[in-house]
Amino acid sequence: MATALMGIRTEGDSPGRRTVAALRLMEAERSEEILPTLLDEIAALGFARALVVNVDMETSELVPTVSVNCSKAFQQRFRASLYAMENPFVQVLHAMKPQVVNGSRKTGPPVFCYPMAFRSRSSCWEADRSGQSECLALTIDSSGKRLQLQEQVCGVCDMHGYGALVAVELPRGHSRTQIATLTGLIEMANRTLSRLFKAEHYFNRMSEMEVTITQMQTVMESMADPVILTDTQHRVIMQNKAAERFFKLAENVSEGRVRAVELNNMLFSAALSSMVVSGTDSSRDLTLVDSFEGEEVLFEAVSAPSYTRDGRRTGMVTVMRDVTDLRGAEEELRLNYERLRAAEEVVRQDRDRLNLIIENVGDPIVVCDKDAKVVLLDPLAQELFGSDKDAKRSPVRLRNQARLDAYITSFTYSFSDRESAPLRLVHPSTKAEIEFDAHSGKIYDERAQVAYTVTVLRDLTAVRRVEQLKMERRILEMEKFAAAGRLAGTIAHEVNNPLEAIKNCIFLLQNQVRTEAQPVYSILKAETERVARIVRQMLGLYRNTEQLSHVDVNSVVEDTLMLFSRQLDRAGIRVDKHLGELPHSVGSADQLRQVLSNLVVNAKDSMGGRGTLFVRTRMHTNGVSERIHILVGDTGCGIPKEMLKSMFEPFVTTKGERGTGLGLWIVKGIIENHGGRLRVRSKVGKGTVFKIQLPVVR
Amino acid sequence: MPKSGNILVVDDEPSVLVTYRLILEQQGYNVTAALSAAEAREVLSTKKIELLLCDLSLEKQESGFDVIEFGRKLSPKLLSVLLTGYATQDAAEWAEKRGIPILFKPIDIKQLLETIEYLLRNRHEIGQAIGD
Repeated sequence: MATALMGIRTEGDSPGRRTVAALRLMEAERSEEILPTLLDEIAALGFARALVVNVDMETSELVPTVSVNCSKAFQQRFRASLYAMENPFVQVLHAMKPQVVNGSRKTGPPVFCYPMAFRSRSSCWEADRSGQSECLALTIDSSGKRLQLQEQVCGVCDMHGYGALVAVELPRGHSRTQIATLTGLIEMANRTLSRLFKAEHYFNRMSEMEVTITQMQTVMESMADPVILTDTQHRVIMQNKAAERFFKLAENVSEGRVRAVELNNMLFSAALSSMVVSGTDSSRDLTLVDSFEGEEVLFEAVSAPSYTRDGRRTGMVTVMRDVTDLRGAEEELRLNYERLRAAEEVVRQDRDRLNLIIENVGDPIVVCDKDAKVVLLDPLAQELFGSDKDAKRSPVRLRNQARLDAYITSFTYSFSDRESAPLRLVHPSTKAEIEFDAHSGKIYDERAQVAYTVTVLRDLTAVRRVEQLKMERRILEMEKFAAAGRLAGTIAHEVNNPLEAIKNCIFLLQNQVRTEAQPVYSILKAETERVARIVRQMLGLYRNTEQLSHVDVNSVVEDTLMLFSRQLDRAGIRVDKHLGELPHSVGSADQLRQVLSNLVVNAKDSMGGRGTLFVRTRMHTNGVSERIHILVGDTGCGIPKEMLKSMFEPFVTTKGERGTGLGLWIVKGIIENHGGRLRVRSKVGKGTVFKIQLPVVR
Repeated sequence: MPKSGNILVVDDEPSVLVTYRLILEQQGYNVTAALSAAEAREVLSTKKIELLLCDLSLEKQESGFDVIEFGRKLSPKLLSVLLTGYATQDAAEWAEKRGIPILFKPIDIKQLLETIEYLLRNRHEIGQAIGD
């Protein structure tokens, strides 16, 4: 630079003056100082007027900015548009070559014009490092052609250049030396200006960067999640407050906290290492200890490597997300899902089981909704009612459906939870009428409203058949019994007359038997009496049953007890009698008396002395039929289990010689002839209860 | 102690008839036996009978009822006891209506004798109703 300056020698110029100018320019710290200093120096060289016209890059206007001894009018001469190509100053700027614009009478003396633009022999710092060639310094240097001032922008560092025209009024008859001096001075000023401009540009960029960094830091700090910048050795370069909580050791902290932080750092460093190994961008779950709270916190650490512009790796940026709650929630969610699955499984199994039951009940099942509309029919029910979807349902099925609907509708809107009613339907294929027993129940929803009704239809055909069979068997038994009774009666009757004669003979012989024959006679007499008893019993059963009338059961009971009162009293038996109010029964009072007598005598005999005879009568109504119940119980020896079955058969007795074995047989016969039933319950050592059920005829 | 009283026994079974007669005679009664209703009527018409002991079932057509009715027509004060093997409600009612004791076969001899003795002893007080 000094060399260039040395080459400039002007008239009336001294080397001292040039050195001063160079030093003044070099001393400038700011670019703004350069142009005034330049004009100062030009003036000091003896030039009358000088000014700098700046090119406004945005408006493309030439605007005078600094001047020395210039009138407004003089300055006005330089105002122009960069596109005003006829303007000589503009031409100079476009040519980028210093030139003397000759004066005229109108314009005055000639003016030396020197175009200034950013010049630098070295490319910018960024271009230098990245090796890019779009740097302004390089583009200016390499182009010999005319420059578009508006394009003076660095393609690498974005520095905007400048353009200006230094105009110096030349004295008349100016010398070449003067021009050379000016050129040297202006070039020197331009170099300095370019240098300062470059430095200022970097300064500005630094300030901008600082702002950016501050902003970035603010962003980092404002993040609730820990953010950590690490270098390639995983050393922490920068971290936010949230991260410091885990990784930074504050002063005067407890031993525990120190250990926690150290452990956290180790864990973090290990996680980073493994992430670097595993890939460029990855995440890890990391459990750290909060050094303040001492709690374990589960983090998801997401790390990304950071690079320089030229692709050099500088470290890692790690953002950690507290997922303790999230993982907890996830776990909770998973557990809930598991539970749901289990519940669903239970429900599914229940449903399968239910389906299996429904399929195997063997009775038609109908499920209806709250509006009594059928929602489910099992195959058997479908057979009876057909399907709604079947357009050509047979009339039989439609009729069945109508009967079912009527029943279910009335049940659905009734107040009862369950109901059963007979339902007569016709079998679609056999056309036979089937009697069903419809059992229905309601299923309620959570608002206690009817949600569904379930109806099971029980085919009563089989039940009815069994009932009929039972009835037939009973009638048969009774007929058999009656036939046996008649036969017994006939035999007894035929035996009766000869027996009468024998008995009379024995009586006649009573005082004529020799002493030694007396035992034989006794046997004869006793056995004959026994035969007489049997015959009497048999005839008693046979005694006509056609003679029926209204019987007051209670009075028959009273009569019988009265008849036996002395006997019972003597045997030490207490009578516990409770007779309820009864309607009349139809039957034979005599026969009922015989029944009661038999039972009372049996009870007395079973107690052997001391005991209680219970006698109860009461009405029993089960809604369908009314019956009179007569209970005769004792506290006697009871009847062994094996005897209970055979005790009503003829000639079964426990009384040996004293009994005929016909008593209970006759009792049963009489009760059954009355359309009643006889039941017995007994426990050995406790006692026996006979229960007679007689129908009520109103 | 011999007992006084003319008794007519009617039964179609000879062995029964004979034994009744023997028993009653043994007790000291004056006994006439009849095997049929016709025979009985004959006796009732000819002899003075105080007590008639009659079996209910005799031959096909006639019954003890007829014999008793016949006897009571002849002598309103005639005492009777009805004997029967068939204890029918009809018989019981018939006898009850007339105040006639009815004994069911096989007859307890003791009871028979007691009944006869009772009737004869109280014959003046006993008014057996005359049937229609």
